Amino acid sequence: MDMEEMDIPQPDELEWLEANSHLHDEYEDFDEPPQPYPQDLDEEDEFQSQQSNHYHHQNHQQDPKPTLSIPPKTTAATTDSSSTLPTKTQIKKRFRSDGQDSSEDWARSEDKRSRVDDVRLENEEEEEEEEDWLRYSPPGRTQGVEVVEEPVAVVEEKVVSRFASEIDGDCVPVTGLDGDRVYAKMISRLEEMNGLKKVDIKGYSSGLISEPIHILIQRAETEAFKKALQASVEGSTDAILPETPVVNEKLWVDKYAPNSFMELLSDEQTNREVLLWLKQWDSCVFGSDIRTTTDEVLSSLRRHSTVSQHQKSARRSFSRNNRGPTLSKENFEVINGLGLENNDTKGIQESWNKKTKGPGPAGPPERKILLLCGPPGLGKTTLAHVAARHCGYRVVEINASDDRSSSTIEGKILDVVQMNSVMGDMKPKCLVIDEIDGALGDGKGAVEVILKMLSADRKSDIGKENVSKEEQIGRTSSRKKHRSESLSRPVICICNDLYAPALRPLRQAAKVHIFVQPTVSRVVSRLKYICIKEGLKTSSIALTALAEYTDCDIRSCLNTLQFLHKKKEPLNVLEINSQVVGRKDTSRSVFEIWKEIFQKRKEKRDRKYGNGCSSTSKDFEFLHSLISNRGDYDLILDGIHENMLQLHYHDPVMRKTVKCLHSLGVSDLVHQYIMRTQKMSLQVYQPAIAITVRDLVAQNERPNIEWPKSFQRYRTMLMEKMDILRSWHNRISPHISRHLSTKSFVEDSISPLLHILSPPTLRPVAVHLLSDKEKNNMFQLVNTMVSYSLTYKNQKADPVPSILRHETVVDVSMLSFDPPIGDLINFKGYSSDHLVLAAAVKQVLVHEVEKQKILQGSISRSMDPTDNCSEGNLRPVVEQKGKVQSAAFGCATTSCAENIQNAKNTSNLKQSNLVTNQVSAASGSTLSSTTSVQVSSPGPLKKPSGGSFNFFDRFKKLSGKGSENADNPKNKPATLERDSRPLLFKFNEGYTNAVKRPVRIREFLL
Amino acid sequence: MLWVDKYRPKTLDKVIVHEDVAQNLKKLVTEQDCPHLLFYGPPGSGKKTLIMALLRQMFGPSAEKVKVENKTWKVDAGTRTIDLELTTLASTYHVELNPSDAGFQDRYIVQEIIKEMAKNRPIDTKGKKGFKVLVLNEVDKLSREAQHSLRRTMEKYSASCRLILCCNSSSKVTEAVRSRCLNVRINAPTEEQIVKVLEFIGKKEGLQLPSGFAARIAEKSNRSLRRAILAFETCRVQQYPFTSNQAISPMDWEEYVSEIASDIMKEQSPKRLFQVRGKIYELLINCIPPEIVLKRLLFELLKKLDAELKHEVCHWAAYYEHRMRLGQKAIFHIEAFVAKFMSIYKGFLIAAFG
Repeated sequence: MDMEEMDIPQPDELEWLEANSHLHDEYEDFDEPPQPYPQDLDEEDEFQSQQSNHYHHQNHQQDPKPTLSIPPKTTAATTDSSSTLPTKTQIKKRFRSDGQDSSEDWARSEDKRSRVDDVRLENEEEEEEEEDWLRYSPPGRTQGVEVVEEPVAVVEEKVVSRFASEIDGDCVPVTGLDGDRVYAKMISRLEEMNGLKKVDIKGYSSGLISEPIHILIQRAETEAFKKALQASVEGSTDAILPETPVVNEKLWVDKYAPNSFMELLSDEQTNREVLLWLKQWDSCVFGSDIRTTTDEVLSSLRRHSTVSQHQKSARRSFSRNNRGPTLSKENFEVINGLGLENNDTKGIQESWNKKTKGPGPAGPPERKILLLCGPPGLGKTTLAHVAARHCGYRVVEINASDDRSSSTIEGKILDVVQMNSVMGDMKPKCLVIDEIDGALGDGKGAVEVILKMLSADRKSDIGKENVSKEEQIGRTSSRKKHRSESLSRPVICICNDLYAPALRPLRQAAKVHIFVQPTVSRVVSRLKYICIKEGLKTSSIALTALAEYTDCDIRSCLNTLQFLHKKKEPLNVLEINSQVVGRKDTSRSVFEIWKEIFQKRKEKRDRKYGNGCSSTSKDFEFLHSLISNRGDYDLILDGIHENMLQLHYHDPVMRKTVKCLHSLGVSDLVHQYIMRTQKMSLQVYQPAIAITVRDLVAQNERPNIEWPKSFQRYRTMLMEKMDILRSWHNRISPHISRHLSTKSFVEDSISPLLHILSPPTLRPVAVHLLSDKEKNNMFQLVNTMVSYSLTYKNQKADPVPSILRHETVVDVSMLSFDPPIGDLINFKGYSSDHLVLAAAVKQVLVHEVEKQKILQGSISRSMDPTDNCSEGNLRPVVEQKGKVQSAAFGCATTSCAENIQNAKNTSNLKQSNLVTNQVSAASGSTLSSTTSVQVSSPGPLKKPSGGSFNFFDRFKKLSGKGSENADNPKNKPATLERDSRPLLFKFNEGYTNAVKRPVRIREFLL
Repeated sequence: MLWVDKYRPKTLDKVIVHEDVAQNLKKLVTEQDCPHLLFYGPPGSGKKTLIMALLRQMFGPSAEKVKVENKTWKVDAGTRTIDLELTTLASTYHVELNPSDAGFQDRYIVQEIIKEMAKNRPIDTKGKKGFKVLVLNEVDKLSREAQHSLRRTMEKYSASCRLILCCNSSSKVTEAVRSRCLNVRINAPTEEQIVKVLEFIGKKEGLQLPSGFAARIAEKSNRSLRRAILAFETCRVQQYPFTSNQAISPMDWEEYVSEIASDIMKEQSPKRLFQVRGKIYELLINCIPPEIVLKRLLFELLKKLDAELKHEVCHWAAYYEHRMRLGQKAIFHIEAFVAKFMSIYKGFLIAAFG
């Protein structure tokens, strides 16, 4: 029946169809036969009886020997045709039952008839008499509703007798008009079947009609009427079908759930879109069987849809629906010519054009998944079910109550989507996944499975594209192959929150339809209809109020009405305001809440609800529940803070602003307190703060609300900078960094440091061209940079324009500080007067800093290799550092010997203990090794021993008694061993004055 | 090496600014066993320098050989284990750490890590002292719970461990902790003292100081010795033969705050407040602590303010600073202060000029 419903074309289509049907032979086998409603005929008895009469007459005319026929008899019979009607019907029925080969059948029945007639001739008189009796049967029999009027079959000689004893079996007394009484034999059904070959009349005489004929007629009439009505409903839009009979126990929601597509209350546009989408599957799902109708319906749908983009999508679908190249060009033109009568010929022509030209194989729509979303109670699920049923699918639903783990759902979906049912109806299935956003963890499983299938599909699509293009003509085979791939059934997903994180991937893949509220009037008219049906007294004003109150949630409206009905109370406007009607716990979006806060409500609302109580308290309640339903006070208050100052409110001395910020401050305090003590119950006080703000600054015009970003931005930027500072802090040697907190650094040090690091006196020349004084300054600078572990680094994009504004070199990559400390004073809209060194100077500095670092590293390592093992980085001991560095710097510029002297001098000056002596010796040896290109082994040979002395020396000092004696012999073979295999190691080969010094492999291993 | 670091006194004898304190400390350490110590005073006054010198006095120069350790501790807190990352600076004799780095989990650091450190006696008992020293920085930022758990540790393990606490304000350290320590207040150096230090550095560096120049730097330094020395070096770098009226470059963020202040004085309206908000965000993003921003802003505003309003404005600044410390979102409170100031000032202007 579903197929029938679907296939009933609209009148104009029919017209068109008839005009064209003969043109394409290929459709004829699945086209409807030209006669309208062939199957439906069996109900339309009147029509049939006329027809059968007609046929009858015809047949009798053709009959070679029409000895006796019934029609003359009936016409001869004086009165009611009701008794004769069954006979005609019977005949007609027989005719129809083997409708296909009607002509043959007729021949057979005529044969029978002739035989019967022969029999009849024999007892014609009796029969005549008998029929008279029948016709003038007592009124009680014919008119009684419950009495079954059974025309008695009297066929054989012994069937009717004056004496009951003459008849074997059951008999019925029959009294004629003249008072004669006969007994008629009652023939059982079995006998009757046997007797069929004897008398035709027998066949329709008994057992078939269990109800009085006028009831049958009545029913047939109503049924025909229904059919016609339904057809008309299908064509036009706004008729409402009579309801299914009432069952008391049912919920109204279920009872009045729409059964047909036209009953749906949801937005028509959406309905059509969904239906269109489903229809696009037809060619793929049903194959070629109903494709014509599909196209027609599609075109009609398309004609109805008004929005241009929808039209586009429809057209696209047409292009997908490959009509096949069998449609030749000439035919095509004929169609155009014929179709001109139609109103929308052009649209159709277009679609036909598309169809013929479109290269794609007949397949499912581009987006294989439909995602319906919207607030609860608007009829998403209903729409999905109704639309799917309407299109001839069997709906398989998976909802939140089912097990939705990925593995179980996969099997389920595969079952539905890829297989056809063998048992039961052969309808294809349509998968409806309800509440897909419901349980996020589980829902994800479903989403993943679907997406996996989609992606698999797409791959195969790409693979097939070329093939199908080539095989355009013999496309049927390719389509079959195509269908064997995954996801060949429509899948409809339903969710409430489109932006649930789990749905993100699905959102991109699926065709999304957002449900909007149906218009109030539509809902109200439906509600009113139901109320009338149920006998509930209401006014449309009350219903309107109810619908508005529930935001057009039909489900909650109906539930409320049923509840009231049960309580035998009429619905009136006041009750909606009172607690009788349960309010849904809906949470609105944050933006809506901000809008409510910043914008004054329309006076209308105040008036509506403001009977008795003051509007402010109503407002307060409304907002309070709104905000507390949403939760997330932190975000709400942030949004208030961000957007508040953009409002237009009258505030000459800033009083309001102060109050607002004060209350925001209070909310912050409360929030902090709650977080600290975990007393969540105190959250109750948060909405009140927002309402206070609202009372102060709410405006009439629509506010321009932005998402609060700056606080988050501040948070992340602060984190970033703190991170930079902290990592830098860790890189500075602890002797400096321990005195600096990051706070004091930013507060006190950074600005002077930047000044110090870029002295204006430094000339951009080569190092050896500088005077002694300048060299000294330069050394100071490099020293500072190294001790603060700063350097310059190439940077592609220039993030600090204000800092580098003195830069004259037009270089794409600029040198800037490596830990980007310059950024820390880079306030927006502020220009500092910091000098920036020329690029050449920076280059020199980078070079020098690198050199210095290497020197320091080598010094510190040679000084105490064991001490640094845990660190593995360059950390010189602080006292020696300065001196050694100065020495090292000198060594780079001046002669080596002088530097050793220098180093020794300085060290001797300040330190007399053994440790530093050793160290200076070690550094001296290092320096000598650096300057002399040919490294000689004796120089560095001493160094490790010096290191080891240093190492032991510490123990000596700590423990008083030296453990030297104990350790020395143990250490000696080790030193010997490593000295025997010296290793030349080059640092920084790229530099002209690359440092080379021997390092033992052991030092690396340590 | 900056002068700040270069001329930092290494021993208690060489301390210039807080000579008396240094001498007392020296006596304390050499003559008898050292109690727990609590150093407090404004930033840049020399607390850390004194502590380092004190450690050197106690353990000799090897106390300065320190290494940085970045260690992750696993703390078992009842139902779950918490991973805490803590950077410590340790020599053989002492450990330096900053327990407030752990934020709201500082309690566990005090309860577990510090206790663990305090429990273990130093390895070489034959050393000079029979105890080791824990230096805790920024004690005032510790939560109340952490401070409470600290006081038991201080008593129980005093045999093997001394605590040296360091903070800016002793008022945020609980009474109990304070009473267990010898409190040492380190004043901000006076301007004369700063001048003395600058002259000392000038002599060491062989610089010619024109008369009054050092005094000017000291005046601008906000009585922070670190800042004074840094400014001094900046001047040296920018222009060596000093002139007595040489420009002393200001702090950038202070300049920015004064820009904000003049913005506020120019116009008082929600629109202007919105602009000010953006600028304050800029400051906060660059790691300037909100308290300092508020304080500085108040100073800048007071400079240009009529005398009769000063009292009220100061009151509100204190009020909002207090709330800021109680709360979480500093921007709300700073902004509230700005709004309040605008309101007061505008009211005043209307009253005065109609």
